[in-house]
Amino acid sequence: MPFLIEHIFEVVISIVIVVLLGTGSLVVAAIARRQRREKYFQRIDDLRQRYSPVIAAVLAEKLEYDRGLAVLKGISGLDRGFVLEQLCLEKKPTSEQVPILRRLCEDLGLVNVWQQRLRSRVDTTSIRDCLARPGAMLERVGRLHFLMRAKAADNLGRIQHRASWPLLVKALEDPHADVQAVAVRSLAAIQEPDSFAPLVERLHAVVLKPAATLSLRALKTALVSFPLRQAVGLIPSLNHSHRRIRFLGTDIIREIVERQGAWEEDFVMDSRIFSLDLIDAFVTRLCFDENPDVRARAAAVVSHLGDPRSTPVLLTLLEDTQWFVRLHAVRALAKRKYLSQAPQVAQRLTDPHWMVREAAARTLLVFGRVGSDHLAAHFLSTEDRYSQEQIADEMQRAGLIPSLLAQYGSEAEGVEGRVIEQFAHMGKTSYLVSVLHHSSEHDLRKKFLENFGRHPDPQIRAWVSHVATQDPDKELRALAEATMRQAAS
Amino acid sequence: MEEWRQVFYHAMNMFNVVIVSYFFLANGTYTLLMIMSLGSVWLHNRRLTYQGLDELRESAVTPPVTIVVPAWNEQEVIVDSVRSILRTDYPSLEVVVIDDGSTDGTLNRLIAAFRLVKMDLIYRPRLQTKSLRGFYLNPRIPNLLVISKENGGKPDALNVGINICRTPYFCTLDADCLLERDALLRLMRPIVRSPINTVASGGIVRILNGCEVQDGKVVKVRLPKTGIERFQVVEYLRSFLFGRTGWDLLGGTLIVSGAFAVFHRETVIDAGGFQHETVTEDMDLIVQIHRWAIHHKRKVKMKFTSDPVCWTECPSTLKMLGRQRRRWQLGLCQTLWKSSEILFNSRFGTIGMISFPFHLYVEGLGAVVEFLGYFMVPLALIFGMVPVPLFVLFVVLSVVYGAFLSVGSVLLEELTYRRYPSFRDLMTLLWYAVMENIGYRQLVLFYRVQGVVRFMTGFRKWEKVAHVGAAR
Repeated sequence: MPFLIEHIFEVVISIVIVVLLGTGSLVVAAIARRQRREKYFQRIDDLRQRYSPVIAAVLAEKLEYDRGLAVLKGISGLDRGFVLEQLCLEKKPTSEQVPILRRLCEDLGLVNVWQQRLRSRVDTTSIRDCLARPGAMLERVGRLHFLMRAKAADNLGRIQHRASWPLLVKALEDPHADVQAVAVRSLAAIQEPDSFAPLVERLHAVVLKPAATLSLRALKTALVSFPLRQAVGLIPSLNHSHRRIRFLGTDIIREIVERQGAWEEDFVMDSRIFSLDLIDAFVTRLCFDENPDVRARAAAVVSHLGDPRSTPVLLTLLEDTQWFVRLHAVRALAKRKYLSQAPQVAQRLTDPHWMVREAAARTLLVFGRVGSDHLAAHFLSTEDRYSQEQIADEMQRAGLIPSLLAQYGSEAEGVEGRVIEQFAHMGKTSYLVSVLHHSSEHDLRKKFLENFGRHPDPQIRAWVSHVATQDPDKELRALAEATMRQAAS
Repeated sequence: MEEWRQVFYHAMNMFNVVIVSYFFLANGTYTLLMIMSLGSVWLHNRRLTYQGLDELRESAVTPPVTIVVPAWNEQEVIVDSVRSILRTDYPSLEVVVIDDGSTDGTLNRLIAAFRLVKMDLIYRPRLQTKSLRGFYLNPRIPNLLVISKENGGKPDALNVGINICRTPYFCTLDADCLLERDALLRLMRPIVRSPINTVASGGIVRILNGCEVQDGKVVKVRLPKTGIERFQVVEYLRSFLFGRTGWDLLGGTLIVSGAFAVFHRETVIDAGGFQHETVTEDMDLIVQIHRWAIHHKRKVKMKFTSDPVCWTECPSTLKMLGRQRRRWQLGLCQTLWKSSEILFNSRFGTIGMISFPFHLYVEGLGAVVEFLGYFMVPLALIFGMVPVPLFVLFVVLSVVYGAFLSVGSVLLEELTYRRYPSFRDLMTLLWYAVMENIGYRQLVLFYRVQGVVRFMTGFRKWEKVAHVGAAR
């Protein structure tokens, strides 16, 4: 009862032969590839050993530039250009080395090649050059040429080739998204002031055309890396009718300002470094924008302004109807210069949203002793359980418990005892007990035993029992035993 | 009697048609995926030359990430793993380790190694979980948090991690895994660069057995010693380099390995978090997100990238291999069954029309068809329904085709990442790729069928694969 078609044998045999041949070819290809790669890496390693020290010495200015250049010009071979590119861009240069590397790449003719590649849609590399290095032939294929353009744009960015910025701006219109993304990144590395406006334009275009191939994050990352003086170029974004563009403009300025703030302690912006137009825009308009995201991001910028209007504006934002605007306002106030605003920040410890409560507690901790006192006072006086929980949380996370116990042990009367009592009352004694377990302070443990030894908290009870049975200190052991008896009776 | 004979012959013929169709469908699809992956991985590798990781590392705009590490009885590996994670090269990183009620010294070793202190912190669950026992922190290592909880399984532990993390993205990482220093940066790159909302990004998982590890870092890549581990190296290459890459290229990603993947937190919460109904919570989550996105008309993207590497310990005994494969198959069946609405549903695009049916018929039910084939085809031979030469040819073809695909994955590795540096390792890999189809494939098939049987019988237990930390 044959159910098979007539030529099934021939068909199956053919398939077996084809698959066998295919498998064999794959094995051969894998082995050949390995051998070719090994030869290639061998050559690269040899060249690296010979020439990398020369490049390093030139960059470190330990070798005369012209002599180094002459040595590098001596590299020959079909893949000369590729090898030079590999050697020069092997390591990320320091900011001092960049100008020397840039000159080196120019004098070796690499910059010209990169500019040509980026400019043209077809490859200008010779077939001989492509044959000498693996995979390069494929890159000559029209549709894959973007790989070369993108790499060229990347190289120009890595050496911060300022003269190439118009070419990179043009590359923002490249048909391939990779080239566009790399061009954006390279423009950010070069930081040519005139390229800021085209990038902002591109940002607007991406927001307004959802089908854009460039990611907003890539553009934002690029714009954020520019110096603060460029912020004025974002005024068109801040004035834009599109709420998302206004938000992005504000957020980019916030990132730039915060980066600057992280470098300089007590960083204050006045009209010399932040134009009056911008100051006015933030204080009078953006902090009251209908888009809450804009208001929230504006708070951080306003907090760095030296303008007298900034504090009242921030206090207004503390009362905003949107919780995340209040959150950003509280975070913005986390600077020592706003120490006098501690009572207003403390009020946010009872905010309905936990993230605002948390931010308020953290901001008060930034204020140092004044903030801690506010925190402790609020912790003891408030009847808001959520607020108390939040403060207890922050005090533990910030590692304040050991110092709290140390102060409690050393001071006769103070607020610390009441704070500890509150912790015990809330059942948050894990950290306290852990510190006591590892403490060798006789006076502290004695005082704690006397004052809290009879507390019903199970963890305190367990600690007292541990002291009573295992502590090497006789006096403490006796005290713990007595405390336990009293507690039991 | 004659009638019964006719019925038997008819049934055998039908099955023979099914097995031949299955053979060509499965291998045809795999071949297609392999060809596509060859191009895609090569291109991806070329694009890495201008990837700009430095920019991602230095930018203030790079989103912060929390690495969530669920751990249950992982005392042998947990400290090394956490040390390795803390060294991860990423600008803003938090690490949350969830001890899922371990009965060994997992928690104590963490406390001792990182000088952690128990704290009573606030827990605000958005996803329901088992109750917590305690939070452990060291204020000097503010980006490390260890949580002890009642045992509730891996999905429950992961949900605790999601509840506790504050960053927009989180990365799931198995406790036995070692991350390469820049793996997270590479995993985040598609998220940062994509103009479409990318809610999941998966990387490649490679086998740690045999490698040399120092201070939680792989310093020398070598092949494992035993055959069973080496076969798994070939399997992993095939699965990650061309299976997942191919599906990613088609837009049909249905599996992102939870051993190492980044997810968008809010999307995961909206999709319901990690579920307990299946034993492969990672695949289940991906399918859930697909469903959620379609039902809520959201355009989301899930991406697989082949260059972020995470090293994991594979089973080194048949017992552990069996446990792992039974669980994977059981989880696959549970997930596909649970989400059957996707099958041939054009609203889901490639997922509904190609990827889901392929996973159901080839990866799921295919195991049973292939397994039965090993009995039915010889039976047909005995009854004279298949000529002996044809039977032999068919057996040869199936072995050779399997070898072709496995060798293809080794070539793919050779064309791109070349992680195994010695020539001897390459030859060994090629040998194991050829030999995989004689014995090992049948063994794994047996475990897979056991998984299907367990699914049919309603078995739901999570079989633990013990990690011995052999490579450390």
